[in-house]
Amino acid sequence: MSQMNGASSLVASLEAAGVDVMFGIPGGAILPAYDPIFSSSIRHILVRHEQGAGHAATGYAQVTGRVGVCIATSGPGATNLVTPLADAAMDSVPVVAITGQVPSVAIGTDAFQEADIRGITMPFAKHNYLVTDPADIPRAIAEAFHIASTGRPGPVLVDIAKDALQKLTEFNYPNSVSLKGYQPKLSADAQSILDAAALIAASSKPVFYVGGGVIKANASRELLELAQLLGAPVVTTLMARGAFPDSHPLHLGMPGMHGTVAAVTALQKADLLITLGARFDDRVTGKLSSFAVNAKVIHADVDPAEIGKNRFVDVPVLGDLKFTIAALIPALKVALAKNRPDLTPWLRQMNSLKAAYPLGYDTPKDGSLSPQYVIERLGKISGPDTIFASGVGQHQMWASQFISYENPRTWLNSGGLGTMGYAVPAAMGAKVGAPDTTVWAIDGDGCFQMTNQELTTCALNNIPIKVAIINNESLGMVRQWQTLFYEGRYSNTSLESKRIPNFPMLAEAMGCVGLSCDRPEDVDATIEKAMSINNQPVVVDFRVNRDAMVWPMVAAGTSNDEIMIARETAPDWDSQEL
Amino acid sequence: MAQHSLEVIVENSPGVLARVAGLFSRRAYNIERLSVGPTSNPETSKMEIVVNLEGHALEQVIAQLDKLINVISIKEIVPNAAKAIVHDTQPDYQN
Ligand SMILES: Cc1ncc(C[n+]2csc(CCOP(=O)(O)OP(=O)(O)O)c2C)c(N)n1
Ligand SMILES: [Mg+2]
Repeated sequence: MSQMNGASSLVASLEAAGVDVMFGIPGGAILPAYDPIFSSSIRHILVRHEQGAGHAATGYAQVTGRVGVCIATSGPGATNLVTPLADAAMDSVPVVAITGQVPSVAIGTDAFQEADIRGITMPFAKHNYLVTDPADIPRAIAEAFHIASTGRPGPVLVDIAKDALQKLTEFNYPNSVSLKGYQPKLSADAQSILDAAALIAASSKPVFYVGGGVIKANASRELLELAQLLGAPVVTTLMARGAFPDSHPLHLGMPGMHGTVAAVTALQKADLLITLGARFDDRVTGKLSSFAVNAKVIHADVDPAEIGKNRFVDVPVLGDLKFTIAALIPALKVALAKNRPDLTPWLRQMNSLKAAYPLGYDTPKDGSLSPQYVIERLGKISGPDTIFASGVGQHQMWASQFISYENPRTWLNSGGLGTMGYAVPAAMGAKVGAPDTTVWAIDGDGCFQMTNQELTTCALNNIPIKVAIINNESLGMVRQWQTLFYEGRYSNTSLESKRIPNFPMLAEAMGCVGLSCDRPEDVDATIEKAMSINNQPVVVDFRVNRDAMVWPMVAAGTSNDEIMIARETAPDWDSQEL
Repeated sequence: MAQHSLEVIVENSPGVLARVAGLFSRRAYNIERLSVGPTSNPETSKMEIVVNLEGHALEQVIAQLDKLINVISIKEIVPNAAKAIVHDTQPDYQN
């Protein structure tokens, strides 16, 4: 134990928690902490907007599996963190946010730069703290890291009053954390595993419905073994891309609003959903009452409140997925030895759908660049070891569809909140977490204009990410809905971003290399040029056709049975035996 | 619909009432009645929450309430029943 001020105690606590990097911006209330940060072993990356700090912490966490850390001052600094913290909550990302607060005597007086950030983040943060006594700092930090990283991961905020940072205190970091009201369950009950195995062995049309929880639990290898043991088809949600290799013959692709016909239909026609770390999100189920109506459901998750939240569950399996799947493998072997259902007809049906309705796109007749082609080439040329971080919109769906993900933690996106502006700062955090890996942000021209200032941070801090702007001069996804549902009345979706801003010049102004490409025959050479630059961030302005649309599509609120493969074109169900 | 009464033991920490009330408002659950009082342990308080929910909806409320870090245990007082149902919140109904 030693005497120090609260600020030093905070930094010593962060060091004790194993933090190696944090992203933030100083200001009055957090300023005492920036003095010990100056001499700490922790790398502090000075961002250009607190939203960037939050998404960078998220990208870092998603790539490394470790807790991402961001830090901001009171008031506007703290409120700028709201979007990335809500984002991290929706996608279950372990993030700890440290904010300065006005001095404790001023709390509640509407003091300069006072905002009740604990109250503001209460509805979505996994937990949060307001610390006014410096003696509480080490315990609050230890608990925050414990809560953020265990069970279902999520964001935890620690708001610290300025006087608590300034006062003298004893530094005493707890060796362990024990919380009466928080004991996440690791291993599932033996009975639930047996019940799950029995149900699987009794079904003839099972499908693995795999969500992001498999990646969070580092359970991809176990999943591969389980899936191969049963030989049943697998679908991976938007948050689970990479949890199971796209190249695997059992993989049917992504389900949901823009999922493949095979993946969507597999869920619809299954007699059993083996749900692993997924949450029956409306973008996956479509109209819930018509979702997988003949299926029994096994739901394995670490969060008890998810089990049965949206869909009735026949066999709940509560526990960490790594343990759950590892326990299910031997149990299933035993069950299958007694009774092994013939899955061949089911697999044949699904493979015939997969063959009949592969993902595809039309090449524009006018010779202009197709966005899907650009993204497909990015995936091919950069390869499966690359980390891709995407924004939100059409480009996000294409990046999920047209790149083959073979490994977990190589696909980062904002799935639950759908946060435009996620890509550039998340890619920055990812590159900090995996400095030897190529990191591509695939961003929309709209999204890019929300958070591109972090390219300055990247250029100054030797974080050489690569950004592909899929420039369709529009808020493309919204425009697509206007095309389909608002008679082509394009209210406020034209960004004119082939005219202004000049993206390559903007990139150059921020210390990056700026490239541009608008002809299909130049795509490969442009990507290769970008791949050859590793000492600076690179931005490529891919100027693409604005009319491309994302297909297949299940319109919001309709049944998955209504999936369309193109405008007014349903799959030819009559030619399929289902 | 039957009224169900939940007896919730919470940590006596600042903001805990706001957390519970906020959860009900955010998830669009109606509270019929809510009272907070001390327990023999100064570190905990007892909330009594009466809701007009049953079945799956009630289970969801309990599961979501239990996710709050400051909620230690939840007991359901069943109307006209002599015994309370103690929800098995320790340790496996936790996240
Ligand atoms: C912060 C935020 N504001 C608004 C939206 C609604 N929205 C969803 S996609 C989209 C268009 C995105 O445009 P762009 O980045 O150019 O991507 P594109 O769809 O054209 O590929 C908008 C406005 C959102 N998801 N996030
Ligand atoms: Mg666009």
